[in-house]
Amino acid sequence: MEQTQTASRPAPPRRRPLLAWFDVRRDRLGGWAFALNRLTGLALAFYLALHLVVLSKLLGGQAGWDQFIALARTPLFLSMDVVLIFGILFHGLNGIRLALVGTGIGVPGQKSFLRVLIALGVIALVVAAWRVFAA
Amino acid sequence: MQNTLESKTGQRAGALWLAQVISGALLILVLGLHMIANHFVVQGGLRDFADVLAYVSNPLIFLIELVFLVVVTIHAALGVRAVLYDLGPSRFVARAIDWLLIIVGIGAVGYGVFLALSLQAMA
Repeated sequence: MEQTQTASRPAPPRRRPLLAWFDVRRDRLGGWAFALNRLTGLALAFYLALHLVVLSKLLGGQAGWDQFIALARTPLFLSMDVVLIFGILFHGLNGIRLALVGTGIGVPGQKSFLRVLIALGVIALVVAAWRVFAA
Repeated sequence: MQNTLESKTGQRAGALWLAQVISGALLILVLGLHMIANHFVVQGGLRDFADVLAYVSNPLIFLIELVFLVVVTIHAALGVRAVLYDLGPSRFVARAIDWLLIIVGIGAVGYGVFLALSLQAMA
């Protein structure tokens, strides 16, 4: 009975909930994966908005778009593309792991699965970075 | 009464989590297509102006990019909502967050469609 009452009681407000993302004491690898998943997700949501704003340059005609393309081909911009691809790869691959664990499919051996995904992500990032700078 | 409310909240959270998973799975497909078509097979990594106009004028491409925009917007909105709910908002603020994200999401999709249709008209 006491347990039921405790379960139905609203959780007390947590102090500094964002800092709790980085509390990896109980689960180091999974903890960092969770924190980085949240950070990359927020960064990608911001990038999505930025991407729509940048595409509005197309409405200005060829001159505006050519100006943007010239900027987008500078080494600094290409480096940011690689950071973006890292964010997409990490968020996507870790998202697959979270979906499998959350649905109960990938619970056994999830740490090994995460390591395999990290290895795949590193390979994909190296290939993508090479493509970005070689294009 | 309290239990019914919590049960509904739990069901809603579960449904939204499932929507996040399904939109994430779809994103792997449509974002992959978007990246390959717009960046990896294009000389120089970006389409020039004439190429962009020709690209968005293809009805199939328009449909794929529209699906991509809708799916990515839903996934992003649900993700941002989860982060903001982590901050423990009051019921009033939580409802405001939900409505704000719905409005921003509809605005983003509407703007994307407007942009694509404007470019089609320029082609």
